[in-house]
Order: sequence, then structure tokens, then C-alpha cells
Amino acid sequence: MFRRPHQCRQLGGEFHHFLRLTTARPCLTQDNGFVSSAGYVHEEETHLIEQIRAKARELLESGRVSCVIGYEAATRGGTRPAFIYDPDGVDRLVWNRECYANLTTFLHDKKKPARRGEEVPNVAIMTKPCDSRAINLLLSEGQISRDKVYIIGLACGGMMAEGNLQAPCLRCNVRIPVLYDTLIGDPPDIDVTDDFEDLAELEGMSAEERLQFWLREFDRCIRCYACRQACPGCYCNVCEFDRDDSLWIGMQIELPQKYFFHTFRAMHLAGRCVECNECERVCPMDIPLSLLNRKLVKEVSELLGHRGGMTTDPVPFVTILADGEVSLI
Amino acid sequence: MMFMSHSSLTAWLDELAGERTLIAPRDVGRGHIHLRPVAGSSEITLEYDRPDLSAKEFLFPHTERLMQVEKRSDQVTLHDRFLEKGQVVFGLRPCDAHGLVALDALFRDREPADAHYTRRRQKTALVGIACPQMWESCFCTSLGGAPDDPTHLDVLLTAVEGGYAVQPVTNQGEALLASAAIEEVTDLSLPDIPRNEQVPVLAADQWPAHFDQEYWSRLGERCLSCKLCTFVCPTCRCFDLRDEPVASRTDLVLIERMRVWDACTAPNYRTIAGGHNSRPLKGQRIRNRYYCKFCYYPKDFGPLGCVGCGRCIDVCPVNIDIVEMLNTVYAMHQERDTVEAEAET
Repeated sequence: MFRRPHQCRQLGGEFHHFLRLTTARPCLTQDNGFVSSAGYVHEEETHLIEQIRAKARELLESGRVSCVIGYEAATRGGTRPAFIYDPDGVDRLVWNRECYANLTTFLHDKKKPARRGEEVPNVAIMTKPCDSRAINLLLSEGQISRDKVYIIGLACGGMMAEGNLQAPCLRCNVRIPVLYDTLIGDPPDIDVTDDFEDLAELEGMSAEERLQFWLREFDRCIRCYACRQACPGCYCNVCEFDRDDSLWIGMQIELPQKYFFHTFRAMHLAGRCVECNECERVCPMDIPLSLLNRKLVKEVSELLGHRGGMTTDPVPFVTILADGEVSLI
Repeated sequence: MMFMSHSSLTAWLDELAGERTLIAPRDVGRGHIHLRPVAGSSEITLEYDRPDLSAKEFLFPHTERLMQVEKRSDQVTLHDRFLEKGQVVFGLRPCDAHGLVALDALFRDREPADAHYTRRRQKTALVGIACPQMWESCFCTSLGGAPDDPTHLDVLLTAVEGGYAVQPVTNQGEALLASAAIEEVTDLSLPDIPRNEQVPVLAADQWPAHFDQEYWSRLGERCLSCKLCTFVCPTCRCFDLRDEPVASRTDLVLIERMRVWDACTAPNYRTIAGGHNSRPLKGQRIRNRYYCKFCYYPKDFGPLGCVGCGRCIDVCPVNIDIVEMLNTVYAMHQERDTVEAEAET
């Protein structure tokens, strides 16, 4: 079976009591993820897909973009990223409750011309609300130009995993993209509050207990770097962990290195993480990386009032050089 | 047919754990089963399908210290680091053992043999458990394996009512079983495991014709360039070698020579001195991974670099599906044959 975010189910077992919802509206339950409240009607309706395909066709035919990055059906259920260049290929596009991947990470591949001498390509991208925050992040860090990216914004009622809403979708209150060029679908009427309940158990632990918790989790890590590669915020040309001459870390695939890798990466995402949960979804070992990243989201949010990617404001603790260049720390 | 009850198995495993390092399926949290060293049978789980990773890490460890260089005043000493204690890998699947054939071809059967691998291979016994079924992504039967194939194991166990059917395969397997309480049973029949659909695989010399297809760059587009597929693969055997300082003081300098898994899918894999990267594009890298498995490796070393375990299919976050790839390449080949036949007539 093509990998689904089944970690949510597993987290669900252990962490279900965190998913306390602050709303009295009977729209969410922990058992079935959603019930038939109007905002949660399954939006896999044909007309949304048709709207997306029509927009993609228009953009490709008019030459506005050369590529549409979207979702298509995967081989064994679910969806996968698709790159459409030909207007006749738009029928491959799908939009349903299994469009998990954060596609914005692929914008990094479109920052340069495909061939020398050509222009930087214009692309369109299907963008869920959570993923849209990554576009703001990339804009604020000077990675992409707004005019090169056409954002097909998707109103989102949350993604499903094995019949339930994914854990991050249960607490999500960003239901339409924070920026878009066209919006597909109506904003679902959902009222939940993200009060960081998912962190409560860890925060209740002593430092030593927390250390042991993480060492147990990191023990399964194989340093495959899927988390880093999937993360739209991890785009250094040469990552510290890929350097042959790194003085910070050895090449061993052993616990001290794994521990260092994950904490190092989390620190680099502090204030930048857009909470798309992609790192946790792609982890083959179900390491609950969102707990690590969201702890820092919470700290930065409380101390500095900043939440990664909600606007194009740069992270509060970057250096802005005299010429406007943004330098991270 | 030989039969071992559950209690006999437990006793046998506990005895093995006393004299050797016993490696067996263990629950490592959140439902993940890894092959790990265990102290005894109580740590073992028998409820699993495929362990997350194959058994290759016990022959070709993800992190292997090959030697240590020790410098004290002006004296330099080299210390070998070889596996001393024998080990038994219990509970691996037939495809995991099949995967070692690819490792043997490179590390053991070709001169100069790799001393560390060869030593590990000699000191390792493989006690496999037949798969109770072929899971959705399994296609071992398309590549010469089978869910109940004993060929590359020392002992094959098959779950039956009340215990396991026991098939010793090698002399080492026979010797290993000497201390086990085994009964001779006449009316034991092994389960018939339904087979998955066959996947067409082109012969090694049919692949080069498809090297320049646009398919590869399109396939590579969604690749994340992580190392996941290669790390879970029972046959991928690329490594990086580096000398890492462990201690550096005035009276003592310690350096370890380390061999660590590497992956051709990673962006920096082909970067050489001076910074040039001869495989900078994702499509080139994913193509290399598959050509290595089905074209280069069989040509240069004999065995295929794939045993059809399906792990890479299960773990890939962007659904790069090796079975879909094989079907696509086969279709491209058929199309090419048709075009050529039409040109001739």
C-alpha cells in the first residue's frame, strides 16, 4: 500500500486525548473525524475538479504558465504529485481528501531555468491552506518571485487518513489559503482553536523524561532525510549534514547523530515552520516530528507573536542586510 | 516433515541467544518492527509482515568501524575491527536472504574480497520464516524468489498449526538445529501461498535502448531525493568511507575509519573534488538507481539488484513505484519492437 499518513492513526491511539476541541459545534468527533455538518461535506465533488482542470487548461493554453503542479491518482490508492505541461494532461489532476503532499517544496525545482539560456519558468500550483503558508515563507526569504507562481488556492476541510481526519487537520483553523490567485471551493465553516494541546504531555514531562522520549523515537530514525527533503523550508544549497567536512556532526547513522540532526533541523525551522506536517507524514518510522517543530512554533508565537508563513513578514530574528538581502541568523 | 512447537522454538531461541548474538524481529515503537539484537525470546515479536529494513544491516552495517588508528607520542598502532562473535538472524523473510546474493557478488565473490563482509557472512546464520502471504507490493516471484523460498537461508521455518514446519537448508542450518526439540511428523502439509501477478522485467541488454527516454526526467520530477528507498532496499550497497577523529589530544590521537550507507538518490552522491556533480538532475539519479538494479549490476556482477520485496513502494512518500516503472519500461520496449517490426515489413 502506497504510504498513507498512518502515523496519525498511531498518534491517535496514544495522543487521542490531546485532540480536545474547544468548540461546542458538533462538527468534529474523535471517532469519525467529521460528521455531516455542512462545512465538512466531502468536497470531492466533480465540479471542483472540473474547475481546477479548467483553470489549469486555461493557464497552460494561454502560456501564462508552462507547468501546473498538482495531484494525480497514485498507483495503489491515494494521490501523488503531478507535473502537467500539456493542456491535454489536465484530466490527470484530482482533488480529494487524500491530497496529502505539500507541493510547495517542488517550487524550489522551478527557481532556475530548466535549460541554460531559458527564462525562469512560470508555474501554477495547487495549494492547500496549510501549504500556502510555505509560499509566504519562500517569498519572505526571497526564494521565489510572486509573479512566477500562479496559486490555485483550494478551500480545505482537512485531509483524511484511514477514515479519520488527520490529527493536524483536527486543530487547523486556516481553511482557505493565506494567499492565492484563484480560489476553488467555498471556505468550510469550521470553528476550532489550536491551543497546542498536542504538546501537553511532553510539556508535562521532566527534562530527563523528555530526553528519554525523544531518544526512543530517534532510535528508529535511519537518517534517510525524507523529512528534510520534503520540507519546503529546508532548501539550503548544501545542508550542514551533507558536507564532507562538517565539523558539527559525524556521518554515523547512530543515536547521537540522529538526535543532533533532528534538533538542529528543528532549530533552523523555529519561526519558519508552517505546520504542514509533511515531515511527519513522510517519515517512514513515524517519528512524531510535529511535536518537536510545534513546540518551537509555540515558543516563537508566544514570545514574538510570529507564526511562520501567515504573512510575508520575515522571521523576527533574521538579519536584513543594507541591500535588502535576508540572512538567516 | 520436521516440526517444532512454539515452546520448543522459544527454548531453542533462548539457547541460541546464550551462545551467539541473536537478531530477531522486535517492536521498536509505534508499531514498527525492526530486526534488532535481542537478549532472549521474550523480546521477540512474531506478529509482523516484513520488518521495516532488510537483514542487510547485519552483514553490511549502516555504520561500520573498519579500523582504528591510535597515535600515542610517536607510536602509531592500527587496530582491526572485525566481528568476533557469531550471530543468528532469526525471522528474516526469504527475500531478505535473496538480497544477500547481490551483496555477496560484490563484497565476497569478487577479488579482492571485502574482509569485513566476508567475516560477517561466515559468522552469520540465517533462520528465515516463510511469508504467510504475498503482501500488496510484493513481487518476489517475478524475480526468481518466492514467499516460501528456502534457497538462500540456512533454515526455513513455516508457520503451521501449533508451531513451525522446519526445513534445514545448509549444513550450518543442520548444526544449528542440533539442540532444538524437533519432532518428525508425517501428516504435515505446508500452506499454499497465493501468488501476486507477475511483473514483466526486461533482460539486462534490453535496457540501454531506453536510456534517453523522457520518462526518466518525468519520473524524477516528484522524487524528493531522500535516501529512503535505498536504505530499506535489501540489495542497495553503496557506501561512503571516511576517517573520523574520535579523540585529538596532545597525548592521544584516535581516528576511526568508518563505512556508512550512502544512496545514489541523494543530490550530493556524485559530487567529486572541486564540486562537480555528474548526476545533478533527479531524473538522472532515479534512472541510475533502476539501471543499476536491472542493467549495470547484472552485467557487471551477475545477480539482479532487486528481489521484489516491495519495501521501496511502501515507504516512498511520493509514490515512486518500481512495479509501475517496470511495467512502463516493458510497454516502451513492446512499442519499440512493434515500430521496428512495422519498419521491416
